[in-house]
Amino acid sequence: MDDETKPLPRITPDDQIFWDSARQHRLMLPTCSHCQRRSWPPGPVCPYCFSDDLTWTEASGRGIVSSWVVVHKAWLPAFAADIPYNAVQVRLEEDVSLTGNLVGAGNDSLRVGLPVQAVFDDVTPEVTLIRFKPG
Amino acid sequence: MVQLSREVAIVGIGQSEFGRNLPQSQLGLGATALRMALEDAQLDRSDIDGLALHMGWPLGADYDRMADVYGLEVDWVYQCWTHGRFVTSTLQAAVMAISTGMADVVACITAISFTRELGILGGPGDAEGMREHGATHGENPVYGLTSPSVGAALAMQRYMALYGATSEQLAAVPIAFRKHALLNPAAIMKKPLTLADHQASRMIVDPLHLFDCSLITDGAAVVLLTTAERARDMAKRPVHIAGMQAIRSGRSEFIFAPPGLGINQQPTERVTPRERDLAVYRRADIGRDAVQGLYTYDAFSPLVLFALERFGFCGPGEAAAWIQDGRIELGGALPMNTSGGLLSEAHVCAWNSINEMVRQLRGEAGPRQIADAAVLQWGTCWGDSIIMRN
Repeated sequence: MDDETKPLPRITPDDQIFWDSARQHRLMLPTCSHCQRRSWPPGPVCPYCFSDDLTWTEASGRGIVSSWVVVHKAWLPAFAADIPYNAVQVRLEEDVSLTGNLVGAGNDSLRVGLPVQAVFDDVTPEVTLIRFKPG
Repeated sequence: MVQLSREVAIVGIGQSEFGRNLPQSQLGLGATALRMALEDAQLDRSDIDGLALHMGWPLGADYDRMADVYGLEVDWVYQCWTHGRFVTSTLQAAVMAISTGMADVVACITAISFTRELGILGGPGDAEGMREHGATHGENPVYGLTSPSVGAALAMQRYMALYGATSEQLAAVPIAFRKHALLNPAAIMKKPLTLADHQASRMIVDPLHLFDCSLITDGAAVVLLTTAERARDMAKRPVHIAGMQAIRSGRSEFIFAPPGLGINQQPTERVTPRERDLAVYRRADIGRDAVQGLYTYDAFSPLVLFALERFGFCGPGEAAAWIQDGRIELGGALPMNTSGGLLSEAHVCAWNSINEMVRQLRGEAGPRQIADAAVLQWGTCWGDSIIMRN
């Protein structure tokens, strides 16, 4: 990555569908056809039953903030102008935890237990990131 | 025939100067530490037949270059790259190599020049953070999380919300270790640290203040090990490896949180230590109460709380209160990181604390000496541990 550009996700065969779906503003999770459980991060098999019969199913996008931070140091120049910016971990209703940022609310709204809803941020024509808003 | 059960002891320690912007190369610092360790053990360089590195490119030389430039000829090599979480693994690999007879004298070497490599530590040159869906410590540069500190911050924030712990309580960790550093001439930090200093220090990643984060320093440390049988006749009092358990991994684990805290995919049900969490005590044939000092990887002050809870010194959610009133200071019930640790001595991937354990068990710790130290534990918040006895 160059110093001035925010990094973009590395996309692999295991998560291609996740990122393709995000571009269409759909939050999809790996789902086991055998035991029906959702899992994260995406992998080649179900981590619960080791079945390789995985499909992708749409998630509600609803969850609660399980933890949060506010970053005050510019490790990457591309984020310097955003300081202080937040990041959150969100436990989705589907019982997987995603990392993102809280948007549409100030850092003073951050708290463990805050209900949130996934939103889709088209950061480039090719890549859409999932972030969260209160709701 | 492979011998699978030789007892193992630490017989030599050495370290370079610890500092910032030191002029020597990593290999230069390592050579200083290796020379001191050989003198300490009264061994010759040619006695070394095994090499265990806790360093590697791009944060240091690899084993082949090290053997090459130090003129070592070894029959056994192990290398874990420069991450704190592999300090125990590296020492344990050396123990296993000797125990199984694959090597007789192993040098564990780490040499670090972090001040020359700031761009790699969470900066633009830190490619590790770009692992898909986040790196080991919760780094996820896509969302602005680029430093290992974010993992400790995520865990501490949730811990504070669940248990009502406060930053003021957490400050007892860096304050205790600073007191220890002030008794240690090798330590980089020379001034007392007060609660007011801690609270006034700038926020790095909320809830972590500057003084909750380790120093970024240069230095090297070396530990020499051999069989306990050979150690009996050697220069210094041997420090025996009495019991070990290894790094834990799985969906119930997050490197910077105790089991069940709910970071990443961890379950959200906290657990008191289970049989598998306490194997190190059974293997050392001691109870936890026999431990006279606990040493842990203190890259960030919350990791100290989580190590205490991981090994059951206190219950889930209790550590922030438990560490108050000098409990983890010299003279307290359970002194920790008595040379100052990563927070106040130096960041030598915690080999500075391993060396301190050896000094303590030899009775060489001077003003920091734990009285009659006979059993000390190394144990990290990611669950690995080594119990040492003299």
